[in-house]
Amino acid sequence: MKRTVPLAITFIVGTVLVLADFIPHKPFGNLGDDFSLYFDIIAVFAFLLGGGNLIRVHLTKINRKRPDWQFSIVTLVGFVVMLAAGIFKISNPEGIQGDVAAIGSLFNDLYMYIFTPLQASMFALLAFFVGSASYRAFRAKNIEATILLIAAFIILLGRTPFGLWLTEGLTGDLAFLQIPNLANWVMDVPNLAGQRAIMIGIALGVISMSLRVILGVERTYLGQDSD
Amino acid sequence: MNFDIGIWIAAFLTLGIMSFLYKDNPWYKISEAIFIGLSAGYWFVSLFWQNLVSKLWDNLWPALDALFTRGEFTGGLLYLIAGILGLMMLMRLVPQIGWISRWPLALVVGATAGLQFINYLVSNGVIQVYNTITPLFGPVSEAGGIAPVTDVWHGLGNALILVGTFTGLVYFFFSKEHKGFFGGAARVGTWFLMITFGASFGYTVMSRMSLLIGRLDFLVNTWITGIFT
Amino acid sequence: MKHSASSTFAFLFLFLIFTGVLFAQDEPIDSAMVDSVATAVEEMVPVNPPKPAQLDIVQDNPGDAGSSIHVSWILSPDDGAGDNDVTSYIIYRSESPTGPFEAVGSASRGLVEFEDATTTDGIEYYYYVETVAGDDSARSSISRPIKSSAQWFSTKDIDTFIIGLMISLSVIFFIFAAQKGKELYLRKIAGLEAVDEAIGRATEMGRPILFIPGILDMDDVQTVAGITILGRIAKTIANYDTKLNMPVSRSIVMTTARETVKQAYVAAGRPEGYSDDMVHYLTDEQFGYVAAVDGIMVREKPATCFYLGAFFAESLIMAETGNSIGAIQIAGTAMPAQLPFFVAACDYTLIGEELFAASAYLSGEPKQLGSLKGQDIGKMIAMAAILIGCGLFTVASITNSESLLSLANTFRSIFSAS
Repeated sequence: MKRTVPLAITFIVGTVLVLADFIPHKPFGNLGDDFSLYFDIIAVFAFLLGGGNLIRVHLTKINRKRPDWQFSIVTLVGFVVMLAAGIFKISNPEGIQGDVAAIGSLFNDLYMYIFTPLQASMFALLAFFVGSASYRAFRAKNIEATILLIAAFIILLGRTPFGLWLTEGLTGDLAFLQIPNLANWVMDVPNLAGQRAIMIGIALGVISMSLRVILGVERTYLGQDSD
Repeated sequence: MNFDIGIWIAAFLTLGIMSFLYKDNPWYKISEAIFIGLSAGYWFVSLFWQNLVSKLWDNLWPALDALFTRGEFTGGLLYLIAGILGLMMLMRLVPQIGWISRWPLALVVGATAGLQFINYLVSNGVIQVYNTITPLFGPVSEAGGIAPVTDVWHGLGNALILVGTFTGLVYFFFSKEHKGFFGGAARVGTWFLMITFGASFGYTVMSRMSLLIGRLDFLVNTWITGIFT
Repeated sequence: MKHSASSTFAFLFLFLIFTGVLFAQDEPIDSAMVDSVATAVEEMVPVNPPKPAQLDIVQDNPGDAGSSIHVSWILSPDDGAGDNDVTSYIIYRSESPTGPFEAVGSASRGLVEFEDATTTDGIEYYYYVETVAGDDSARSSISRPIKSSAQWFSTKDIDTFIIGLMISLSVIFFIFAAQKGKELYLRKIAGLEAVDEAIGRATEMGRPILFIPGILDMDDVQTVAGITILGRIAKTIANYDTKLNMPVSRSIVMTTARETVKQAYVAAGRPEGYSDDMVHYLTDEQFGYVAAVDGIMVREKPATCFYLGAFFAESLIMAETGNSIGAIQIAGTAMPAQLPFFVAACDYTLIGEELFAASAYLSGEPKQLGSLKGQDIGKMIAMAAILIGCGLFTVASITNSESLLSLANTFRSIFSAS
């Protein structure tokens, strides 16, 4: 009972949804959208588990005075304050009926002055990490890494005025060797070929895995070890 | 001096996050802690209003009302199923009947498998094959809506795409050893894949730079300039 | 302005009279007289309606969920030719052949079709098309009765259905053929060969293993793939008694992962080694999550990091931080945009399809391995299709053969998915 019902559910739901794409008639035609809706609602309930876990983990850390327990207080306070600001719409100029992110509300202020700068800063770290990754890639040890490096360089230069300036001299028949033109060609020909191979491979991988999941050949996600 | 608390907090947090590049330190830890707490709260608030209230409550309440006051069965009652599945999920907290939380999980995984099967088949499989079918060589001709191959270079380009797609797929073969001619083709496929990766890499470097520029602009032009005006 | 010769002539004639009157008189022009002349001009010029468009096809849209009817017509001879004064077409609809008809839409000149998407299934409708040229119009004849309905099978998708069926059958065939004991060769994937070694390394160093299942939820296939791989790896981790740290960014993933890891410990005969704290929720927010993961990495210093699932821009942040702490990193994703970063920063990367094959590989079960052979057949089908299509088009191009060209087009349209 505990094992077979979930497997049966997966089989039925999976099969129906695969076929539903070919059946425009109601209710099959809308099943994809219906599922998205159901999923969103299940996700909210699940969040109670996740949020509960967040609170529990940090409270435990504070109680047991584990390293950096002081920062757990900050996390919990931030969590509770944001929750309260959003659910009770504190300081919301439009009141409880208004849009939760109305300008002037505490929720919106927290979002604009704290959340957004944090998010943008993390995103900006990528510039440094791209630099360190490129630096390591420079030490290309084999032919594959060298190809990756050269392609990256061409595309990178091709998207800057520097690249154009470097090869301005190549005109006429050799114009195609100008870096921006070369970059476009690399994007449109070899890059496209590789992308397609990857994508077709992924399609087949998804099909195969979906079939394994639907047929119950793959069951680890249910916590079962296949027999 | 312009003292806008919002800007000072934003600058504090921006520098705190960036201090991570040097090494882990309390400034980063406090920025990280604030980020986790606030973002978790933010997401729950969004889920609450957008999913629980506008999707579940606003649809279910009228349907339940119609059912109990007028005995009518309306479409909104289907949301009851979603609500029940959500509650089953929460049963995980009760050890004796925790196993029932596997049912909504099974539904989610089965549905994902079913829906993505077709999505990927079409967008990643069938359409990619369609796009790769092009004439390789030949005089000018209106080949069924495909751009006619006007010169040798165009034809060679199409041929190169064909070779690249082919050898790339050969690389992904699982059930054949990469030896001999097959192995050689797989090697060529790897080169094409490397070009693809390099191109993606080079393409995104500039956009990452622009993100950094955005932050630096804030720090210099908004915060620091604000101190002196 | 009427362009026909007779109306021009009439207008000129009246204009001359009007001018003559104008110059012959000394007193100022009387506006009432101007109006009366203008009216006289209008009444004298005969009304010239356009030639009407003829209804061509009116039918229920095939392969849809109902509520729409497709109306098409043949262009009026005065549209783009003849008098060339057509401005638009208006489509009228009624539930009875005698009316009353109401306009349900319009199309500008040059167009020959219209979708009426406001029909109610099962009701018979009658249509006609009115050709409009300025103030004049002319009607087509009335169509036969048509009703819309939802189809049970979308005939336009039959090609996709057959292709999907072919691939599915080959996968299923090999799943069961492998079960019968047919020995299957599988090439080695470096990243998967290294899994045991990577877990062993963490055990020796007494440091934890970090497992990141991507940042999307269980409604993404890559996350499902990551969790199935987790199930395999967790068993080895349980056997070696290594610490597992799995921070997640979605609550449903947390629940699923806990089930998976717990059962892996049970299957390894070490249920007491499992703790719910191994899998913990951080935050749904992409960059908040990676900020916290980075914190975990630099403080707990895991010896091995697995990144298996769907990732976005944060992939590089994690991979580079992992590099800085000297961890072995095994990544796998089907997001083409993130693959380059993993390839550049991680020790091993499972590229696209390899991520979905990984669980089958690690299981070693014949049924699972058989499905991989089926995938290969699918690749062969794709390669054959591309070769045949390109060949047909190339030969048709070279020989300029119409029949070959149409054959090539038909073949190609099998894959058009629309």
